[in-house]
Amino acid sequence: MKPIIHFDRSWYESFFKHIEEDGPWAKSELFSLAYLAEQARTVPTFHGLIAPSRLPLLKPHPHQVETARIVIEEMHGKAILADEVGLGKTIEAGLIIKEYMIRGLVKKVLILVPASLVLQWVSELNSKFYIPAVPQRKTYVWSQCDVVVSSIDTAKREPHRDIVLDQDYDLIIIDEAHKLKNHKTKNYQFVQSLKKKFCLLLTATPIQNRLSEIFYLVSLLKPGYLGDAESFAKNYKSGSHAVRNEEKLKALVNQVMVRNRREDTGLRWPKRIVKAYDIPFSMAEKDFYDSLFELKERGMIQPFSLLTLQREACSSREAAFTTLNKIYKETAHPMNERLWHHIFEKMNAIKQNAKAKKTLELIQQINDKVIIFTEYRATQLFLQWFLKKNGISSVPFNGGFKRSKKDWMRMLFQNKVQVLVATEAGGEGINLQFACHLINYDLPWNPMRIEQRIGRIHRLGQEKDVHIYNLATRGTVESHILNLLYNKIHLFEQVIGDLDRILTHIDLKDVDKQVAHIFEESESEGEIKVKLDNLSSVINFEQNHLSEGDSHAADGNS
Amino acid sequence: MQQTEIHDFLVRFFSSAECELLPVADDHDQLKVKLTKAMDKRLMNRPFYWHYIEQIGAEPETAVLNFRFSDRIQEGEFIHSGSPRLHQILDASEKMGRYIRMYQVIANKLSPALEPWLCINMKVSYQCDLKKDRICSMGLQLINGTMIEGFQSVLNTLHLSQKLPDYCYTLRPLITIKSGLTRIEHFIESELQKENFDWADHAATRWGKDLQLLDAFYEHQEEKPERYVQEKQALKEQYQPQIEVTLINAGLFFLQSAAFLPDLIKDR
Repeated sequence: MKPIIHFDRSWYESFFKHIEEDGPWAKSELFSLAYLAEQARTVPTFHGLIAPSRLPLLKPHPHQVETARIVIEEMHGKAILADEVGLGKTIEAGLIIKEYMIRGLVKKVLILVPASLVLQWVSELNSKFYIPAVPQRKTYVWSQCDVVVSSIDTAKREPHRDIVLDQDYDLIIIDEAHKLKNHKTKNYQFVQSLKKKFCLLLTATPIQNRLSEIFYLVSLLKPGYLGDAESFAKNYKSGSHAVRNEEKLKALVNQVMVRNRREDTGLRWPKRIVKAYDIPFSMAEKDFYDSLFELKERGMIQPFSLLTLQREACSSREAAFTTLNKIYKETAHPMNERLWHHIFEKMNAIKQNAKAKKTLELIQQINDKVIIFTEYRATQLFLQWFLKKNGISSVPFNGGFKRSKKDWMRMLFQNKVQVLVATEAGGEGINLQFACHLINYDLPWNPMRIEQRIGRIHRLGQEKDVHIYNLATRGTVESHILNLLYNKIHLFEQVIGDLDRILTHIDLKDVDKQVAHIFEESESEGEIKVKLDNLSSVINFEQNHLSEGDSHAADGNS
Repeated sequence: MQQTEIHDFLVRFFSSAECELLPVADDHDQLKVKLTKAMDKRLMNRPFYWHYIEQIGAEPETAVLNFRFSDRIQEGEFIHSGSPRLHQILDASEKMGRYIRMYQVIANKLSPALEPWLCINMKVSYQCDLKKDRICSMGLQLINGTMIEGFQSVLNTLHLSQKLPDYCYTLRPLITIKSGLTRIEHFIESELQKENFDWADHAATRWGKDLQLLDAFYEHQEEKPERYVQEKQALKEQYQPQIEVTLINAGLFFLQSAAFLPDLIKDR
């Protein structure tokens, strides 16, 4: 095919004018320098990457550079980046944007990310890649700025929507793209309507599991690549979940998707060293914990509320008090007054918190940066107070903090104080890899939340082995959970990302709800144990099954 | 660009822009420049400051740029092949070095006639979903139509001056600038037509494949939705092979051709 040849003649007029008016003429040296400047910036070959040489401070990992190259040269700029968590998808995306910009193939870029990540993307692109990205704050930004970062929710809303759909984007990047799996949602249709030349979809959740999800994601990228919905179903679906022609589908998908696995990167990943502590209640704490049963026996609370209270009581009396006080106000009646008096008396009798004492002991032993995670705000405050009383300063961290506050707390933790007490993994958006000790003061029931917690420190850039300390109170709901997560499904030794895959595959996204059901509906300790064992064997079975499948898939790729 | 090349470039740039180079401890790894007013306005992006200073008629304090070229030095802005500051300066040099007129200074005073040459430096970009470029420097003698490729490197060997030397005179061109430009374009175009277009063929194949998929995707829809048209257009923008020729800079040169001809003649 003959290429179209086009001469830019827009400069003719001004050149003629210079001749006519005899100047102003450039200096000889500057004429030569202009030539040199352009020479330095020409890219003499179609292949290879220029970007890394222009980013001498970045030091990307080989798999990141290779990914950028594959996306540009072999996938022609339309790809799903599905690396496992923590392998640096943002770096890969940055390299791709940069390469395209250097070569002049891309000017206008739209980056859609979760609202909480907008500023982080902006700052990474600017500081690491010298890409002048701006957050969308004012309406005019859409048309005036070349590289804009925004949340989907903002972009799809009027008055933005019409303006955004009117722009001709050279490159669109969508972070957390697995959220676009449903083609009937407004978000999906909005993204589908965007004008784009190149497109990157970033997701940490492997999408092999749900057939329709993969179909709709790929169709966003390359409509028709997997056929239309009908032919896709015919060719690859068998029943509601099972796959036909799996090998063929995998091969097709692998041509539009890059998925680096931790074990393939050749990077040394720090080990996870996990210790569990089974801590007995003090007498007073035990009394208080037991007294909570009476509320249920009297029919004043539902089993679910009891469970909540018990978990809180395992954390701290402060955490339990908040809920207890609410229930008290709702059920206050002279008839109950004695019972309540009894319970609050027990609560007040608690003079020390066994887990807090253990925590203090651990912190003193560790003598290094420590992150403590708790589920409860009240416990967070209590712990800060308790540690301060024992001469240890700490900073708080909540998922709800504004970006600037998060950064500030992170800085304080990095430079000034030994301990950070966090209520939420803030799953997205904070990297604490300068610390390598993490205390799970209480355990969330959803294993994914634990993964996210650990993911804050066990990621690329962590140079030391990671130590995880799990605290559970003996003979309570907590010890059951610890047993399930720790001994049964070996959660803490898992490779990040695997768990998510397993849970998605067996439709067990809401493990916490399952667990709650088990506690609520079981009549005895024995029943709880049996049911939890069943749950863990289901997860374990799937885990073995998937890891076998993996080794096959890996063979197929090479 | 290597660090030493960047260093040389900056020294040449700031010197020719009449900015003062300040003394530094290590003149290999460091460069300190006191900007002129014009350069400050061009590089420092502070229009309000200049507006204010000019309003009150105060003496301006122009900025000092302090660059470092390696890690051995702590102080100053680290400059490298990707730093935005360098690219800002490269951009500035391209703007400031666009059009020129020069005369050759010749030793031989017996033949004081200088012939007019049109010089155009261009960038030729080959683009589909990938892109590469090359530089093309053309010179055209405006009397007899002699054409030279690689003209800039010829110029680099000559002694040139902004002013017509006293003892010289220039010959009148027979070819107008306008038709000179057309001649050069025609020449480049015919050269381009002779090139190997494998890259374009490959891009066309990729394009065709994706078009086929797209058509199949919307096959069952009698009335094609707007999205179909949009996707089709996007594929064109992604893959359509094209060659774009853009200007770097251009100039009129009055030279004595005997100084560098005849071995470089390209076309007549």
